[in-house]
Amino acid sequence: MRYLSWIYLVACFVFILLPVGVLVVFSFQDGRLPVPPFNGPTLKWYADITSDRDLMAALFNSLLVAAVSSLVALLLGFLAASGLARVVLPGSTLMRAILIAPMTVSYLIIALGLLNYFNNIGIRPSLLATGIGHVVINLPLCFAILYAAMGEHQRNALRAARDLGAKEWQVLALVSAPMLAPALGAAFFLAFTFSWDEFIIAFLLTRFDVTLPVEIWSMLRSGLSPATNAVGSLVFLVSVAVVVLLELTLFRKVGK
Amino acid sequence: MTADVSITGVRQEFGDFTALHEIDLTIEAGEFVVLLGPSGCGKTTLLSILGGFLSPTAGTVKIGGKDMAGVVPRARPTTTMFQDYALFPHMSLLDNVAFGLRMRGMSRRERNAKAREMLDMVGLADQAKRRPHELSGGQRQRVALARALAVSPDLLLLDEPLGALDLKLRRQMQDELKAIQRKVGTTFVHVTHDQEEAMAIADRIVVMNQGRIEHCGTPEEVYLTPRTLFTANFMGEINTLKVRKAGQGVDSPLGALNLEPTNGTLCLRPENVGLSGQLDLGQAVLQDMAFFGSHLRCHFRPVTAPEMILTANLPQGTRLQTGDQVHLYGNSPVLIAEEAA
Repeated sequence: MRYLSWIYLVACFVFILLPVGVLVVFSFQDGRLPVPPFNGPTLKWYADITSDRDLMAALFNSLLVAAVSSLVALLLGFLAASGLARVVLPGSTLMRAILIAPMTVSYLIIALGLLNYFNNIGIRPSLLATGIGHVVINLPLCFAILYAAMGEHQRNALRAARDLGAKEWQVLALVSAPMLAPALGAAFFLAFTFSWDEFIIAFLLTRFDVTLPVEIWSMLRSGLSPATNAVGSLVFLVSVAVVVLLELTLFRKVGK
Repeated sequence: MTADVSITGVRQEFGDFTALHEIDLTIEAGEFVVLLGPSGCGKTTLLSILGGFLSPTAGTVKIGGKDMAGVVPRARPTTTMFQDYALFPHMSLLDNVAFGLRMRGMSRRERNAKAREMLDMVGLADQAKRRPHELSGGQRQRVALARALAVSPDLLLLDEPLGALDLKLRRQMQDELKAIQRKVGTTFVHVTHDQEEAMAIADRIVVMNQGRIEHCGTPEEVYLTPRTLFTANFMGEINTLKVRKAGQGVDSPLGALNLEPTNGTLCLRPENVGLSGQLDLGQAVLQDMAFFGSHLRCHFRPVTAPEMILTANLPQGTRLQTGDQVHLYGNSPVLIAEEAA
């Protein structure tokens, strides 16, 4: 019985990780196609992609869009959550629902809507447009995480801060934000990873400067190559790095 | 620093519910006032109004002669000690205590010096670098007190600060609270539902019930000469007897009693019922008796009114047995006229 459960566990991990494993292994393929048989390791493809200027520009664009859009989404989400947690207004529930609603809409629909709207108001497809799109999809996420983290205990501490003479911005900066640090970190890094590998919105809302997923897509159009595997491995590496960082810093603290 | 408080005609409504009806109360500078009452009596509402967390529907609040209408908590000369202490978990004790001074723009050196002084006053000077979660409940409570007093408020509001402590610690903290109040001279308004706590610390007790002030006086006045039946009951255990005017005295279920002619209720504390005294209560039979350490708690059934029970606290060493018939007397009777009750 014990034996079986171990087999089951291993099977699960294989199922989850095999595609990524294959991707990473064949990024070291010494040959023209990332398919078996494996012809022995080479770093040639990594050399290729790191010297590809378009690709590196796209990587940098992706980092920029992810960082800036996540920060904006985090800030807006924090302010919205602080406001709605503090006062009960007629329609608070409705406001919360509307804020979270975009989470349930497919990225394609959001992208189409933004494309239409940006056309009307004259914002060209660009990194800015994509960044705004990523704020739209990540704001509900940040709001939901932060709102859930604001409990009764937090409310009382904020009341005490006001009572002791803190102005509203001081309450937010000196008491609310530090108390919510783990939730703020979690929300930021989640938003960052979502923006980092988001494709549809970036595809429809960029033109000349593109993000990494869009660049990878255009590479794929010219057929499979170990080079795309190498890019994919890099993207995967960044995501893993973010998750590990998160585990080591924030979640460890929460667990304490 | 300290200031007097005057509350005139304060009324608080929440929708259809009236939490406070026309409250009038004057508090002297440097006084320790306790708002006492059961939950839902409006005591915490009144405290929130003083702190500026609620604006009253009607009436005025003046602190140090200044009208507080429209003044936010930040701008009031008040600080509050909250029921759950509401310390800032991410700051050291020193930073917690110095927070109010920091908000007033005091330099780091000055405010840390002042905060150390406050921590010293509450006996936590050696723990300044620790975080709130490393402390016990009583210690947290002291930090909250130091933090609220660090900004030298004119008026300190205490919202059931001892509620979460165990009994022994609570009694100890009461003494400390009282001593600290004497030392700093700040006006304290303290909310509690524990009448023993109220009597232990208050200069003046304000008994509240259903949004009204029932009685306002020193602990002795409130306990010994309650003005209403509610106050009499709330301040401690009591025997009550309905009485009616009859000639020069009153008529009661125990027969005629030699009291001022009144229609109302006669109140006798258990410690004022005994085997000697001025007021003759007639013969009674001992039903049961329990040893309470400092006294014997006895239940008597009066011979003239066998359907009622009188509770008496008799001194230790009283030799009585269940079924014994004795003559009971009362001391310090309190008569509450019908219209007041």
